[in-house]
Parts: sequence; structure tokens; C-alpha cells
Amino acid sequence: MTLAATPARTRAPRLDGVTVAAALATLVCATPAIAVIALALISDGGAEFGGALIREGAMGTFGLVLAGGTGAIVFGATTAWLVTLCRFPGRGIFEWLLVVPLAAPSYILAYAYASMTWAGGAAVPVQGFGGAAFIYAIGLYPYVYLAARAAFASQSVCALEAARMLGASPLRVFWQVALPLARPGIAAGGALACMEIAADYGAAQHFGLSTLSTAVFRAWYAHGSPGLALQISAVLLVAAMVFLLVERGARGRAAYSGGSARWRPLPRYQLNAVAGALAAVFCGALIVFGALLPLMWLARLALLHANVQDIVQPFVNSLALSASGAAITLGLAAAIAVAARRATTPLGKSPLFAAGMGYAAPGAVIALGALSLFGLAREAGLVGGLGAALSLAALFWTYAARFASAGVGPIDAGLARLSTGLDASARTLGAGPWRRFAEIDLPIAAPSLAAAALILFVEILKELPATLILRPFNFDTLAVKAYSYASDERLLEAAAPSLLIFLAGIAPIIILARSIGRGRAGVTS
Amino acid sequence: MRNVRKIALLEAPLSFRLSRRGLVLGASATATLAACNAGGGQDNFVNVYTARHYDADRALYAGFQEATGVEVRALTGSAEQLLERLRAEGDQTEADVFVSADAGNLWRVKDAGLFQNVTTATLQENVPEHLRDAEGAYWGFTKRARIIVYRKDAVRPEEVASMDSLGLPRFRGQIVMRSSSNTYQLSTLAARIERLGAENARAWAAAVRANFARDPQGSDSDQIKAVAAGEAQASVCNHYYYFRMMRSEDPADREVIEKVGFVFPDQAGAGTHVNISGGGVTANAKRRDRAVQFLEYLVSDEAQTMLAPLNTEFPIRSEIAPAPDLAAAGPFKEENIPLDALGRHQAEAARIFEEVGWS
Repeated sequence: MTLAATPARTRAPRLDGVTVAAALATLVCATPAIAVIALALISDGGAEFGGALIREGAMGTFGLVLAGGTGAIVFGATTAWLVTLCRFPGRGIFEWLLVVPLAAPSYILAYAYASMTWAGGAAVPVQGFGGAAFIYAIGLYPYVYLAARAAFASQSVCALEAARMLGASPLRVFWQVALPLARPGIAAGGALACMEIAADYGAAQHFGLSTLSTAVFRAWYAHGSPGLALQISAVLLVAAMVFLLVERGARGRAAYSGGSARWRPLPRYQLNAVAGALAAVFCGALIVFGALLPLMWLARLALLHANVQDIVQPFVNSLALSASGAAITLGLAAAIAVAARRATTPLGKSPLFAAGMGYAAPGAVIALGALSLFGLAREAGLVGGLGAALSLAALFWTYAARFASAGVGPIDAGLARLSTGLDASARTLGAGPWRRFAEIDLPIAAPSLAAAALILFVEILKELPATLILRPFNFDTLAVKAYSYASDERLLEAAAPSLLIFLAGIAPIIILARSIGRGRAGVTS
Repeated sequence: MRNVRKIALLEAPLSFRLSRRGLVLGASATATLAACNAGGGQDNFVNVYTARHYDADRALYAGFQEATGVEVRALTGSAEQLLERLRAEGDQTEADVFVSADAGNLWRVKDAGLFQNVTTATLQENVPEHLRDAEGAYWGFTKRARIIVYRKDAVRPEEVASMDSLGLPRFRGQIVMRSSSNTYQLSTLAARIERLGAENARAWAAAVRANFARDPQGSDSDQIKAVAAGEAQASVCNHYYYFRMMRSEDPADREVIEKVGFVFPDQAGAGTHVNISGGGVTANAKRRDRAVQFLEYLVSDEAQTMLAPLNTEFPIRSEIAPAPDLAAAGPFKEENIPLDALGRHQAEAARIFEEVGWS
């Protein structure tokens, strides 16, 4: 076991194809967010209420990130450890069922819970700050679960067995060996969840909370000032960058190196009857509250108003858009992750932050940044009107800007498992950057790439605001349909498309969950 | 060295394990594009940006196509976002018509210089003067009233006969309201500023704010539900949410309405605040004639009678009968102010809400 800090400082950065591709990818992903900040600086938004909106919003966002993020991390890390390193009743099913809540957008969970608890006589009303924190924790913990499980699954058996042979209890092994080793994964998943919370508008708005995201829309919609909206968004973006830097910094000091080369299936602790039952109830409760209950409620509403023929075309559109958007974003994310992994200087690692910015801003704001850039390009005579092709291009660009980070995270975590010596050895043997990328980075990161592709697919499937504002004429997706009905306060009609978003996301997510188990070397099943 | 790199480049796609999936994804991207272009084959169409999402509107589009042969291509979205898209597109926009609920939204489009004035005999004849822009930038085609809902077992209707009553000490801790980020709320206060001045409007907003049972949250329908559930005794909403719940397929919705009554407020005073859904021709419309034709169709006998039973708004033309349940609620006195007042006082309304803490 080598837990020693061994940073790979072997060469000066050099310009090669991979670096250039990564630089271009970074530019594509970061431009809308940078545009938002630049436009915020030059617009005079009428900051009369800006200060108050930002102060109040920042406090709200901070509180929600703290409460919801902690919940997501605790739920995600605990369940990941349970299903990966323990044996208890139902473990095999829980292993993949636990990811299902990822398929539900926060705004749909919020709507479902609000109407459900209201109709149920409000035994425990899901509302206000607590309601939102609950929705975030229950809906976003799978991000942490996935990343943490991949991290636990790739741990060295030797480290765990050594601890066990030295007489450590399961809990002690968890706290002192498994958890510290899995920290990069948990941190990456937790960061995603936190940024999702910061960017969320639908659920926060629904529960009547003041956050930076709701302040953005208050400035835009109530005060009619897109300029002020951009300024508040810029605050959110800068805060996200600081957050990312801190997160990277906190885990960057220690580099984790590959451990033993002797891979074999992880031994699992047999939990006793009581502990096993508790574990099963805990995992079961997360699935019931995160997926089953809202799904059943939506199904009930959808049956009350079955508008199947209205959502066939949107369903096809959603799948096509999500698949294409995921493919494009995945390519960009892979280039960024690989280049950053090879880089040894802060400048070389900067694409990670640049790509991450867009993730913490509401999609509508990134879309507004892209729209403004388009407006400038049009005034300069570079492009014509937003026809079908151009608006789709703008849409894919916005997806990349918004979600690159969701792809970069898993890929980077996958590459982190790459022994630092491999790349150096390949270079010594004369392999160029593309060859090393194709023959070392790619195969090792393949499971993470698959994971990233599926996450991106589901993210884009759930995405609403950018799709709403940038799509071509007569082109509706499921999320657009759900929004249209919900904004018209027709929750019955909104139920069917919402349910379909949920269901369409479940399949890729389960594939994702199952593929991670195979990501462990030496495990063939 | 260079050769190694070349070979690696050739090998890269082969050793990329996900390449088959990549191909599928690429193919579907092409399919998406093709699907989008498919609709644009014939050029007998008119493009509409609309912030209205009613199914009834699709019946209108079909009716227009049947009557004129012109296809309506719609892009739905929130009014604020569609406005920003229109702004960014400038003279290159594909949009010919901009449609939205609430005159405040339409005023913003006019204020941004993105409407052109249109005046035709048909439009002038059919749209009442207080339900259209004075210069012809936008024209109403349906009408909605802002009503007070109250819990029947706690409030007598005469106790909520006016908007002022919601600010009385009688209702301390008994009022729920929608967020002031919502245009309906802004327009309601803007109308008050027009009639009674900013000081009066501020005092009213502060008095109602003092009676809140909870921080503003949820939709118009959520306010009705909160009143029914006993969280509060009264609230304000657009009439058609009330009537839609009354007709709902969900028995839970109908139970809500059984507990709740409504009044058209201020019948003894200035009349109930009304607002419009309307549309205008965009400043850079490429198909101006068809756009005007579409606006005229929206207020035609055919469209107005078609809309009446399909949704719960009032027709813009008073001689067209609304849906039976709306007709049963009886005629009511409407507030009569220039429509553009809702836009002109919008910023001030937002400021007042901010100042009194009505988020």
C-alpha cells in the first residue's frame, strides 16, 4: 500500500495535440460563463436592489448547500460503503437501485412532494428550507454514491485486509482506511451535488426560498433587468470557482497511487442480523423517498389524465437531443480531463476550473450568456438568424458549457486510478501523446467514460431552461412539455411527461450502476 | 517519432471501446437535425413566439391553418426568456408574432422596440379600447380577472368585497400570496399605482404584507389550496385557475373548490382588475402580412367562439358568450385604465414590493 504523496513532477509542459484539443475544449465550455462575467461587468443593471438581493440570496444558497450537500454526502458515502464492502440482505439489488433517484430532476421531485404531502393532509409537510434540503439530499446523493462506490470498488484489498488483520473493526476500517482512500471520489461527487444545489432554481422557487438563483430570476423577471440578473449570476459563478479551488486544494495535497497490482474481488463484511436489517432499511428508505413514492404519485396523476399521443414526439426529441448532446460534451470533457491530469502546473490544471464554472450557474443564465454572444456575433455580421441548425448548435454549446464538469469529474476520478508511473514509462518507451491517450488513458478511463456519458445523457434529458430558450420552432422535449403544463399550473397534464423523464433516465442510470462494478480490474462478471 | 504518432492517430478510433456507442450517438444527432429541418420544407407558415402554453392554443393554430392554409410554427417559453431571444436575434429574427399572457410582459417587448405598430379595421372593431395598446403595438385576444378567494367556513363574502379588505387587521396572519416576482402580481399593483398613486399602493402592499400567514410561495393554484387547507382565510388569484380546478379530473382539486368561494373584488368601487393575453407583430417580422392575418384571426368570431369552451378565460369580445360556468358567475364591473399603465408602473411596483418585504 502506498498512500505516500508522490506528485508526478517529471517534465515541463509541452504543446502537443492533446493539449491543443483540451485548450479548444476548455474555450468552448468556458466561453458562455466567461461571457456572463464580462457582460456583468459592463452592464449597468440598475443595482438599486442588487446588494440586498445578493446578500439575502447568498445566505440562502449557503445554507441550502450546507444542509442539502451534507445530507447528500452522508447518504451517498454511507450507502456506497455498505453495498461495496458489506454483506446484508438485499445488497445486490440496492447496489443498482440506489442510483435511481438521479433520474428525477429536483423541480419534479419538489412538485411531486408538494402536491403529495398537500393531498395527504400534510402529515409531515415537505416545505420551506427543510423541504428543499430534503429534496436535494434525497435527489442528489446518487452523485456521491456513484463516485464513492467507484472509489471504494477500486481500493486495494491489501490495505483493507491489513487493517482487518491488525484487528480493526468494520467501522474503524471505514473511518480510517476506506474513507480516507475514497476521499477524492466522495469530494468529486459532493462537489457536483453542491453545485447542482447552487444552480437549482425550480425547487428553491417552489418552496419560496431566497437563493442566488432565485435572486437572478427576481432581477430578471420582477425588475425586468437581465443586466442585474447577469451580475448576480457572476457572483454565483465566482463563488463556484472559489468552491472548486478549495475542493481541489483540499484533496490535491495528497496523491493516491495505485496500490497493489494483485487484484481480486473485494472481501465483504458480513453484517449481523440487526446491523444488516438497519442497513437494508436505510438503503430502502432512500429508494422509497427518492424514487418510489414520487414515481407512484406521478403515475397516479398521469393515469388521471393520460395524454399519451401528445408526448410521443417530445419523447423521441428528448432522446435524440440527450444522446447527441452527451456525445459532444463527453468528447470535450475527455479532452479536458486528460490534459489536466497530465499537466503539472496550475495553468495546465486550470481547464478543470474553467469547465466547472458553468455547472454552478442556472442553465437559463448560461443560455443568456450564449444568447448574448450570439447577439454580438450577429451584430458583427458573423452569423445570421437562429435557424434550426444554428439554434441546435447554440443549444449543444450551452449543454457543453453547463455540463462539461459533470463529465470531467468522473473521467478525472477514473484517471486518478492510473498509476503515475505508467504514463512516464510509456513516454520513456517513445509513445506520443495521442498514443498514450488512446492506449493508456482511454482503456483505463473507459468505465469512467461510460459513466460520464450516461450521467451527461440523464443531465441533458432533465435540462430545461437552456432547451426552452434555444430550441428550434416546433421542437418540444419532455422537459419542455412538463414545464409548459406546470407553468400553466396543470399538474395533471404535467405528470405524464415528468414521469417519462424519470423513466427514460432510469434505464441509463441502472446500466451506469451495473457498469461500475465491472470497472474493477480482475472482476470479470 | 512522427510515425509513431501517425499510427497512434489511426489506431485511436479502434482502441476506443465506446466507439460503437459513439456512432449511434452521432447518428441520432444527425437525425435530430433532420427532424428539425423537415418542418421547414414548405414556406407557407408564420412563426410565433408564445408564452402561452394552453392546449387550446394548438386548436387555434389548427383553425388558422384550415382557414388560411398558413401553418403556425410555435416556440413556447417564458415571456422574459423569449424577449431576450428576440433581442439577441435583432433584425435576423425568425419570429413574426410575439404572444404572451399579461400586458406587463407585452409592454416590455414594446419598450425594447421589438414590436411594430399595426392598426386594422378588424382589430379596432373587435378589441375593446382598454384591452389593447393605444398605438397598436399589441392586441388582447382573451381576458382574465384577478379575484379574491376565501374559505367559506371562516369568511363571509362581504368581508372580502375589496382588495383593501385584505389589508385589514381582521385578516392578521390569514393571507397567503404569490411571490411578487410574478407578473400578475406586478400588474395588479401597477394598476393600483395608476389609479391611486404610489403612496397608496405602498400602504396597501405593506398592510397586506403584515397579514401574511407565510412567505410568498407557490403558484396561483397553490394559494387556493392553502386557503382550502386552512393555512389562511383568503388570497388572490386569476379567475381561470379557480374555474379550472372546479372542472378538474382530479377529485382532490374539486374538493378544494368546495371549501372555497370567490368574489370579483371592488364592484362597488373602481371595478375588478382585468388583464389580457395578447400578441403583436415583431419589429423585424419577415412575414408581416401573415402575422397581421394571425392577429385578426385570434379575435375573429371563429377563434373567439372556439376558445370559449376550450379554456377558462373570458373572450376579449364581450358579445361572445364565455363558457357556461363563467357565464353563471355573472357579468362584473371591470377596472378601466389605460392598458400600458401596467407596463409603465411595473418597475415602481417591483420596487414597492421589495421595500415592504413582499418577496
